[in-house]
Amino acid sequence: MSIMEYNGGSVVAMVGKGCVAIASDKRLGQQFMTVSTNFQKIFPASEKTYIGLPGLATDVLTLSERFRFNINMYKMEEERDIEPKTVAHMISSTLYQRRFGPYFVEPVVAGLSKDNTPFICAMDLIGCINFAKDFVVSGTASQNLYGMCESLWEPDLEPEDLFETISQALLNAQDRDALSGWGAVVHIITPDKVITRSLKSRQD
Amino acid sequence: MNSLVQKYSKSSTAHDDDVLGVHGKWDASLDLAFPTFDIPGAQNPLSFLRNVTDEASSDYKIKIQHGTTTLAFKFQGGIIVAVDSRATMGNYIGSQTVKKVIEINPYLLGTMAGGAADCSYWERELGRRCRLYELTNKERISVAAASKLLANLVLPYKGMGLSMGTMVTGWDKSGPNLYYVDSDGSRIKGDLFSVGSGSTFAYGVLDSGYRNDLTVEEALELGKRSIFHAAHRDAMSGGSVNLYHIHEEGWTYHGNHDVAALFWEYQDLKAEERAAAVGKQ
Amino acid sequence: MSGDYSFSLTTFSPSGKLGQIEHALNAVNRGVTSIGIKATNGVVIATEKKSASTLIDDESTEKVAVICDSIGMVYSGMGPDFRLLVSRARKYAQQYKQLYMENPPTRILVEQIARVMQDYTHRGGVRPFGVSLLIVGYDEVNGPSLYQVDPSGSYWAWKASAIGKNMINAKTFLEKRYNDEIELEDAVHTAILTLKEGFEGQITETSLEIGIIGTSTIGVAGKDREEFPLFRKLSPSEVKDYLANIA
Repeated sequence: MSIMEYNGGSVVAMVGKGCVAIASDKRLGQQFMTVSTNFQKIFPASEKTYIGLPGLATDVLTLSERFRFNINMYKMEEERDIEPKTVAHMISSTLYQRRFGPYFVEPVVAGLSKDNTPFICAMDLIGCINFAKDFVVSGTASQNLYGMCESLWEPDLEPEDLFETISQALLNAQDRDALSGWGAVVHIITPDKVITRSLKSRQD
Repeated sequence: MNSLVQKYSKSSTAHDDDVLGVHGKWDASLDLAFPTFDIPGAQNPLSFLRNVTDEASSDYKIKIQHGTTTLAFKFQGGIIVAVDSRATMGNYIGSQTVKKVIEINPYLLGTMAGGAADCSYWERELGRRCRLYELTNKERISVAAASKLLANLVLPYKGMGLSMGTMVTGWDKSGPNLYYVDSDGSRIKGDLFSVGSGSTFAYGVLDSGYRNDLTVEEALELGKRSIFHAAHRDAMSGGSVNLYHIHEEGWTYHGNHDVAALFWEYQDLKAEERAAAVGKQ
Repeated sequence: MSGDYSFSLTTFSPSGKLGQIEHALNAVNRGVTSIGIKATNGVVIATEKKSASTLIDDESTEKVAVICDSIGMVYSGMGPDFRLLVSRARKYAQQYKQLYMENPPTRILVEQIARVMQDYTHRGGVRPFGVSLLIVGYDEVNGPSLYQVDPSGSYWAWKASAIGKNMINAKTFLEKRYNDEIELEDAVHTAILTLKEGFEGQITETSLEIGIIGTSTIGVAGKDREEFPLFRKLSPSEVKDYLANIA
């Protein structure tokens, strides 16, 4: 079994009209045994930017702390909030620094830039960025998520419609993945607020 | 031209003669012989098969549906059989509605763990043989004999990648009987078994709640609960719980219970119990 | 006074002064004058470039340096010290860009250079830099900005400033000429005029170095062909045009 699948978990992000959404499941497993059903995989980078880190749990913990450190330092030195694009490149650089002994995570970044332009991207474990204008997926249910997003996503969704779309995409994708699920969390990022909701889902 | 027509018409009639091989005398010895399979033309078919069917192998190519929790136990009221309904292919959930209890006949049940195709094929083959036994001997086959039939059926293929962990249960002249049979050649008589990737979780619940003097209702609930907890903790198990009770008149089906609904049911129950306990204090 | 403490470059005198830093400032004040002016839509830095001999090929010396796309720098004081700081600044800018895929904001780079200069005031085995710097840049966060960094590592942001030999006169001149609505084009003129005030002899296009950045100095990059303000040096012919306008 691949080390990327050791703990399981998935993240998806989508672009809407003047808003973005990022969602993840809540499972932490050891191979096929579910150990926790409340494991955080999405971390705030700034008021309007979130980082999703599906992959090996130990690296999720290490990197989330490292990014928190880097972003806090950035915030103090530059006296401004970090832009989602800058977060993405910072993460990408951090991952490529470990090119020959990588962190086993495939991060997703979702946020609104200074002028509230939606931004999403996904990366492989050594930092190759995939900029997308519609949606990005990552984690053990990524193939299922691609299928769901390809069929459900449409351009210019309002925040509440985007919430419905990303929720259905994630719930149905994780219901066909043995290593993702056991609950889900969704963040809808709009210019004036971030809406966070926990989803009720199958517990098997 | 004429000869040409004749040639084809002749061959077609010759073919029509016995398309399905149903004409002529039925040869019981032929029909009861072991079924034959094509063997891969590798230098060493045994190691080749072992290689491509072993999940840990780098040449793992033949990915069969896997992952299960099944259980069966004897108690004063007969036997309870409970199984989940998930089939996985790697991480992908192939189905949430698999029937893992094979109804061999009204008095015999087989459970399915391991390769789905292996289990269903060999247990169907077992069902056929049990029916033939019944016709020949004018009485039902015993569970002991049926389980041994299955064990002997798969043994010749040992090491070739067959994957089957099954329980053969039923009610015969001697009463309720329960056997564990697997593709490695084991055939074990017992009172309580759980088989599959989620078996350890099921055992945990089952062992702590098991008593011989359980009522049928209590026993059904214990079986259901055990499968539920395995479905919750084991990624490869889930879907729904299928429940069976075996008694003197054969087996009775006790329904399909969706794990998604069970979780909230049990959670509410737990909350009620806690509230009641707090109330008492 | 400071002679008593000449045994160490980095020991305070009883009056609380570090002699070496004051000496470094003296080196700066002997250096050629440099000017910086921030306009509403850009910034300009300018300096005199006088060769000690007519035999020197003055195209080979450079006093206004490009640090990265969005930042430029000029100095008064010792040329070799400046070159070291330029290479440090360029290296830092590229490291920042490698990490974040964008140019450093001017203030961040200034802070970094100031840190290097401060480091040279208290480390063993080194002496302070004999230069003051004028650093200009244009970024999304702060728009145009102009900073001065001294040998001590202190730095300030200016609307307009001068360093070097003719600093005092130049500043007085700038105080009179500067206003908050000045545009880059006018700022370039003012910079040249300020230098001309203290210039000995005939001012020509080869005796001036000018660098500008603003909304009118556009660079293009990336697959989306995004436009951004680009720091660039004026060519001698451009300088010649400006001089012609003044005269």
